[in-house]
Amino acid sequence: MNKWKLLLPLFVCMLAVGCWNRVELNEIGIVSATGVDWKDGNWVLSYQVVIPQAISGMSGVGGGSAASVNVFSTKAEGFRAAISKASQETSRRLYFSHNQIVIVGQEAARKGMAPLFETYLRNHDARETVSVFLSKGSARHMLEQLIPLEKIPGAAIQRMITNEEINSSTYRQMTIHQVLLDLMGATKATGIPGLVVSGSRESMNRADKLSQTNTPSKVRLFDLGLISEDKLVGWISGEESQGVMWLKNHVKRAVIPFACTEEAKGQKSSSIRIIHAETKLRPEPSGGKWIMHVDAKAVGTLMEYNCGGDLSKPAQVEKAEKFIEAEITSIMQKGWKAVRKYRTDVVGFGNVIHKKYPKQWAEAKDNWTELFPQTTLKITVRVKLNSAGMSGSGFKSEQEKRRS
Amino acid sequence: MNKKNAGPLTPLSPSLHANAEAIRNRFGGSCDIVVRFFRSDAAPDRELAIIYVSGIVDAETINESVMEPLMSLKLPQHAYVKGGKLLEALRNCVVSIGSIKDVSTLEEALQCLTDGLCVIMADGSPAALIAEVCGGEQRGVTIPQTQTVIRGPQHGFVENIRVNISLIRRIIRSSDLHIQMHKIGRQTHSNVAVLYLHGTADESIVKEVYRRLAAIDIDGVLETGYIEEFIQDETFTLFPTLLNSERPDTVAAALLEGRVAIMVDGTPLVLMAPTTFFTFFQSPEDYYQRFDIASFVRIIRYAAYVVAMLLPALYIAVTTYHQEMLPTTLLISLAAQREGIPFPGLIEALLMEMTFEVLREAGLRMPRAIGPAISIVGALVLGQSAVQAGIVSAGMVIIVSFTAISNFVMPEFNMAATSRIIRFVYMLMAGVFGFFGIFISVLFTLIHLTSLRSFGVPYMSPLAPGPTKQGIWRDVFIRLPWWAIVLRPLDLSLRNPKRRPNGRKPPAQRHSDKP
Repeated sequence: MNKWKLLLPLFVCMLAVGCWNRVELNEIGIVSATGVDWKDGNWVLSYQVVIPQAISGMSGVGGGSAASVNVFSTKAEGFRAAISKASQETSRRLYFSHNQIVIVGQEAARKGMAPLFETYLRNHDARETVSVFLSKGSARHMLEQLIPLEKIPGAAIQRMITNEEINSSTYRQMTIHQVLLDLMGATKATGIPGLVVSGSRESMNRADKLSQTNTPSKVRLFDLGLISEDKLVGWISGEESQGVMWLKNHVKRAVIPFACTEEAKGQKSSSIRIIHAETKLRPEPSGGKWIMHVDAKAVGTLMEYNCGGDLSKPAQVEKAEKFIEAEITSIMQKGWKAVRKYRTDVVGFGNVIHKKYPKQWAEAKDNWTELFPQTTLKITVRVKLNSAGMSGSGFKSEQEKRRS
Repeated sequence: MNKKNAGPLTPLSPSLHANAEAIRNRFGGSCDIVVRFFRSDAAPDRELAIIYVSGIVDAETINESVMEPLMSLKLPQHAYVKGGKLLEALRNCVVSIGSIKDVSTLEEALQCLTDGLCVIMADGSPAALIAEVCGGEQRGVTIPQTQTVIRGPQHGFVENIRVNISLIRRIIRSSDLHIQMHKIGRQTHSNVAVLYLHGTADESIVKEVYRRLAAIDIDGVLETGYIEEFIQDETFTLFPTLLNSERPDTVAAALLEGRVAIMVDGTPLVLMAPTTFFTFFQSPEDYYQRFDIASFVRIIRYAAYVVAMLLPALYIAVTTYHQEMLPTTLLISLAAQREGIPFPGLIEALLMEMTFEVLREAGLRMPRAIGPAISIVGALVLGQSAVQAGIVSAGMVIIVSFTAISNFVMPEFNMAATSRIIRFVYMLMAGVFGFFGIFISVLFTLIHLTSLRSFGVPYMSPLAPGPTKQGIWRDVFIRLPWWAIVLRPLDLSLRNPKRRPNGRKPPAQRHSDKP
């Protein structure tokens, strides 16, 4: 019977200590997106809190009267201090584990994002899988925008970047984890996609605006913000961002329009869908400076071809491949030029050198910002057309043939 | 078996009327004791009597095989009669009944009467003739009520032990099927039969069964449940260590595997021992269906058992402690359902589970005629209305319903009942400690399971301790084709472990090849 006596204190312990961190689902405010702004010497944190009833199918059809999220901000000198102030104006505990995205306003990014990373590394409820974006305007403004088709704007932006990364590879999803890896790596630089509200000035902050077939404005991905150390140093355009993606070997699938010349000039009336791409970087020291051999290989399917010629003939296919190679080379060059201007090694050349020539890197790393723009790029691209699609010679030449 | 409750034996008196009076007195003048005095031509000078208990004997047999031959006897001066051996003469030449014997004490005669035999006595003989005329009203062999199959034999045991034994005999037509009868119960003197396959069942287990049965001292045995609680290895466990079935084919299969079956007169349920944990997941139909279907269904059954035990606990733990584990959309949908629910998740779950248990028990006990009312009350009032009234969330109703349905997948009712009780423990632990609590309680359950034994056989074998032989897994989590199952399970039969010589499919003759 001693066994039972032993169980008694256990039971008492259970009653005494159990349930202390229990949180019911209706006691938490699920944050779907967070915004970070810097204003008058204070951090302004904005939260997009999900209103579950408005989202769940039980309360009427979508596009109804109630907005699915609520946005509010708190202000303090520190990050966590601002978050803790939230309890003064909301009935529920903010729950960050399901946070999808963090949007950092331009001002805040120029000020430095170190406090953001610090909070993410120190707290367990802030997940490093969260995607980071920069915003051209204030971050709070981005959070206020409703997005058609999706109920939760935060999740919508998260899906937007995933969709973009998989299907056209102009921007890449940058999670806090990835950003930290880059910034703590050899080059201490990274690129974060930017967000902008395009269209008219009217803000999409009311649910009834979604009842129209078109929206006056919308959130879209725009430009790539270059981050050095922890600060925003400049923006490069989407086209240039694509070049960076090629150089960094992050192209998964992309549609590349190309012209019918080997100089990548003229109207880009043809397109190829890249289904597999790989870029290899090989550094070579040359008298204190560096030569970077960029060796890209791509496989793709032709989607649109207006250069004439019968693609059932190997010679013609090779010609088409040349056009595409020229185009990709040009894309990479553009990206390189843009990055060089800002002296920010977001393409990760430093990492490659660090791995291959650790000793030389030890000397070079201190003035890498000087050395980096002086690097010479030697680009070779090899494109393989694995399919010309379902038509061989194309509509025009087929028509010619019929006429004769 | 009944030796210990036998007092001093009273020999029968030579006087017929004294004996009849003694028997009447012993029964306290009960109205169902029939004493019929008569004279036979066999011995016109001596009075005869036939005594039986009406209702438990077959009146027709008494009339045709006992009374009629006796009364219409045309051999007045038989040699035996002269020698005063009237009873011997009756036994050998007159009474046309197969099973017949002599007794010489009053107690034996009383015992025979209550067993449904008739006692024939003659004046002047201090002995009695016992003829077996068992009969009376009883239920016929019907479809089993509790364990149904789609494919397989459709007859079940009945309350009469003789019929039950005959059902087994008809399946296993071998002299190796040994059946020992015992009497247990000071008052009920219930017949308890032990069945085993000689040469297949482990002798030491059979001996152990006898030993444990012999130790039972109780006034009455009405069901195998009485026996089960006396002979099971571990009393304080939620897990059943003996299997019961009302299907003759299940019992026959168990006997062929080397198990021992225990039958009790008066109940259609038969015990089987030793039994391990995995036996409870094997439905008789597993062996009649094709092996692939059977394997699939068996995996479903294991999964359903885990669901039945853990699902509400997991739901409580996830929704109150580990919200980060859910996909965001699911979390939001669950959160929307929980808006305005007054109780914490644990209380909500306990409320619904208790409701369901009450509903189930009510459905079981109430008269058949008002059965449909329960389903209306259960489905509409408690399910739908509780959600609409905002007392419980819709998600919780789904969880409780699915748990309940999963529970019914188990082929053995007593194992299903185990999961019902353990579920509450898990739910409490989940509500107090979250996943940590569930983990701890599952761990304790596993430790407990591995410590159990059924007649010396480890309860979790062949999982723990590890399998001793190659090929023992072929009939545990899945079932391979019959020709591949070579071994009997669980090392039950050490001397005769193989069912069949090898594990190859018999070659088929392709008739189509020849014209």
